[in-house]
Amino acid sequence: MNGLKTNNAPHSSVVIPHFIFGGFCFLIVAILIILADTNILEAYFNSKIIAITHMAVLGWATMIVFGALYQLIPVVFETSLYSEKLAKITFWTSAISVLYLTYSFWVSAFTTHLVYASVFMFMSLFLFIINVILSYRKSENKNISSKFIIASIFWLVITEFVGTLIAFNFKFNFLSEIHLHYLKIHASLGTIGWFLSLIIGVGSTLIPMFLISHQLKKEKLVVSFVLINVGLLCLTLNWFIFSNSILTIICWAVIVIGVISFISFIYDSYKKRIRKKLDVGMQYTMLAIASIILPILVSLILILVFKIEYELLFRITTFYGFSIIFGFITTMILGQTYKTLPFIVWLEKYKNLVGKTKTPLPRELYSNKIAKIQFYFYVLSILSLAFGLILKNFIAIKIGSFSLLVVAILYNINVLKIIFHKVKNINK
Amino acid sequence: MNKEQIEQFQEETLVLLKNVMDPEIEINIVDLGLIYELYYDGNKKINIVMTFSTPACPLGETIKTDIIETIKQKYPDFAIFIDVVFYPEWNTTMVSEEGKRILGL
Repeated sequence: MNGLKTNNAPHSSVVIPHFIFGGFCFLIVAILIILADTNILEAYFNSKIIAITHMAVLGWATMIVFGALYQLIPVVFETSLYSEKLAKITFWTSAISVLYLTYSFWVSAFTTHLVYASVFMFMSLFLFIINVILSYRKSENKNISSKFIIASIFWLVITEFVGTLIAFNFKFNFLSEIHLHYLKIHASLGTIGWFLSLIIGVGSTLIPMFLISHQLKKEKLVVSFVLINVGLLCLTLNWFIFSNSILTIICWAVIVIGVISFISFIYDSYKKRIRKKLDVGMQYTMLAIASIILPILVSLILILVFKIEYELLFRITTFYGFSIIFGFITTMILGQTYKTLPFIVWLEKYKNLVGKTKTPLPRELYSNKIAKIQFYFYVLSILSLAFGLILKNFIAIKIGSFSLLVVAILYNINVLKIIFHKVKNINK
Repeated sequence: MNKEQIEQFQEETLVLLKNVMDPEIEINIVDLGLIYELYYDGNKKINIVMTFSTPACPLGETIKTDIIETIKQKYPDFAIFIDVVFYPEWNTTMVSEEGKRILGL
């Protein structure tokens, strides 16, 4: 058959630790938001917010993405992962690096620990990049989804390079522009170049597969690929060389049209889906896709409104980051965990038992009740945090942050329930 | 075996394969319309031509194993050959009335 052969999938010992550690980091993120207290309402570049952001983006989101990607490379690239050993080494170095990096930010060790932590992080991500690129070279089917993934890898390198540059500048102070200029580049390339490209690449394969929809217009993905990458490349050059505000708006518009083209592809898939009722995993996923609109609108305000007081500008910028990390990325990951992890574990535990004994369905490996409660708390936490950030309302922030803690606990319960599922042997 | 007996055997085997589920869609592969042809030669050899709901189906190999094991449980000394094709492409018109009812089509 074309596509994934089960024997192309990596051993579960490569994938599972990423979900455990990612879930653990999600819990830490929720706790750190509570501990950060009123710092959450301060300027977006204060050390507590930066620490939470890096824990959320690298510890939570990137770790789960790494794990999922190792499993999905056979689906998207139609070949096996280049090296499972390298993936295991990458896991440990990334896990240690992200904890060290978050600690460095949290205690404001900008001129001491941060330099070393950023170098470790850069090297860890580089190991991942090598593994994906060498897997891609083996691939015979270089489709649009795999091109998105490779583009995201390219942007990850640039993001990490800029991030490490900022860290070194704290100690050696050699950059001409202020830190906020490079921080903007670092954050934009990371969210649009790395995460958005990656999610489009993986999502364009997985979402139609899970919705069971056919005869989709792949041209929309090609348009999306070209526009997002050309727009982002142009934007990067503009930030480093031209600094032209009109060019910024043009690049922004090009990227937004590219994103809309992807949303349109997913909408087609949704309309043509065979399974009408969405399970909890796909409810999260569709919510994530719809929520892309929010950061687009907020970024429009940030680009077009020039005369704005700093305090408000900082608050809108924090909300912009929040809408991407929690509104889009976290929602997508929470949903796709319920779609991918049960299958990964189910395949490992039952692939040799199918046909011989009655096996449970993959979705029966987790508690749907917990998943649903988690969903409602998640909506509550996102709305409360959004309300709190925009209106500078600390009570709403507290409700949102404690709700997020409940979400993280429930998510971890279900993840561990899936991972430690015991094989049920029922005669057919 | 005469022609009628072979046809009856093929029908019975299709009913047997209703025990094989697509774990993602949660419908058996027969009602889902994944089995394009099932041919019995009358001499312990079954040929199946089938498809998957998507070429990238991560459970493809598992479904094939499930088919073989399910038939072997009833006919241990039979040889089973499965040919997976993607033309014609699977679509909803291939789903049985029972399958459509479950999917809400």
